[in-house]
Amino acid sequence: MSEWIVILGAGAVTFLTRASFIVFADPQKFPHAFRVALAYVPAAVLAAIVVPGLAITQGALDLSPANPRLVAGIAAFAVALKVRNPIVSIGAGMAALWALQALAG
Amino acid sequence: MVSNERTPDARGEFLAGCRDMAPVLIGTVPFGFVAGVAAVGAGMTPLEGIALSLFAFSGIAQLVVAQLVAAQSPVVLTLAAALIVSLRFLMYSAALSPHVAHLPARWRVPLAYLMTDQGFAMGVHIYSQPGDRRLRHWHVLGSGVMLWVVWQSSVVAGAVLGAQVPAAWSLDFVVTLSFLVLLAPALRTRADLAAAVVAGAVVLLAAGLPYKLSLVVASLAGIAAGVAAEWMHKR
Repeated sequence: MSEWIVILGAGAVTFLTRASFIVFADPQKFPHAFRVALAYVPAAVLAAIVVPGLAITQGALDLSPANPRLVAGIAAFAVALKVRNPIVSIGAGMAALWALQALAG
Repeated sequence: MVSNERTPDARGEFLAGCRDMAPVLIGTVPFGFVAGVAAVGAGMTPLEGIALSLFAFSGIAQLVVAQLVAAQSPVVLTLAAALIVSLRFLMYSAALSPHVAHLPARWRVPLAYLMTDQGFAMGVHIYSQPGDRRLRHWHVLGSGVMLWVVWQSSVVAGAVLGAQVPAAWSLDFVVTLSFLVLLAPALRTRADLAAAVVAGAVVLLAAGLPYKLSLVVASLAGIAAGVAAEWMHKR
């Protein structure tokens, strides 16, 4: 029963945050400083999502070269800077991770 | 018209949106599968896992809800966590709203529902292209529908087939890589780089905070760093 409250609630929360400005606000009224700040949303939010996935393994910070996810992520990032195709970058990242895991055996 | 570009038509724009999204789907399929497996692994029925995906349509929110349902967290805390990881949608919504403000609500409501991290990145890209912009919303709609269909199919596969993928495949790493390929093209200026580096450092420092608060704290710190870097550069 409580699962369905969570499901409907999660739907409401995600829709209302998405709809906030698109459906309910007038962008002409945004202050200038707010518009400037919006330009940095993608870089900041995406970095905040990506970095823990690379640097935190099994709940602990691991910035050593022995962390295969960190090394594979840096490799995929280098590829993504050169090549715009996500298939190539994601493929390179997974291949690097599998190779490093196989080497660590 | 001096431009020799063809006049855009709705169907052509929609299909172009579907095509643009296609390369992103290599990350969407395993990510959706992981989200479907996580819901069932948390004790939800496959139907509940699929319903969660239909209502939330957000990989990160679905994974967080699954984690907290598995931990038998109170409903209020689970929804608070879902809200916190969805706060970035406020920022995306604000950034995209000037481009769609002229559209009627019957357009803005579905475009809002379909907006994801990938959809936002695609929307910014689509609206940054030169040329006739009158039918760009069909382009955005096409990319959103494409992602939606593939995402939901992948979640259904994960929820129904269950955890039959060996852990050694590290399929969950696709979640991180999916966002990493969006991050790289978002770093166009030194100020963008400052925003990313500060957000990345703060998210690690704040990793001990409960309910994924580190994501929000780090995002705000990164945005502040980007604004500060731009301000210093101008002086």
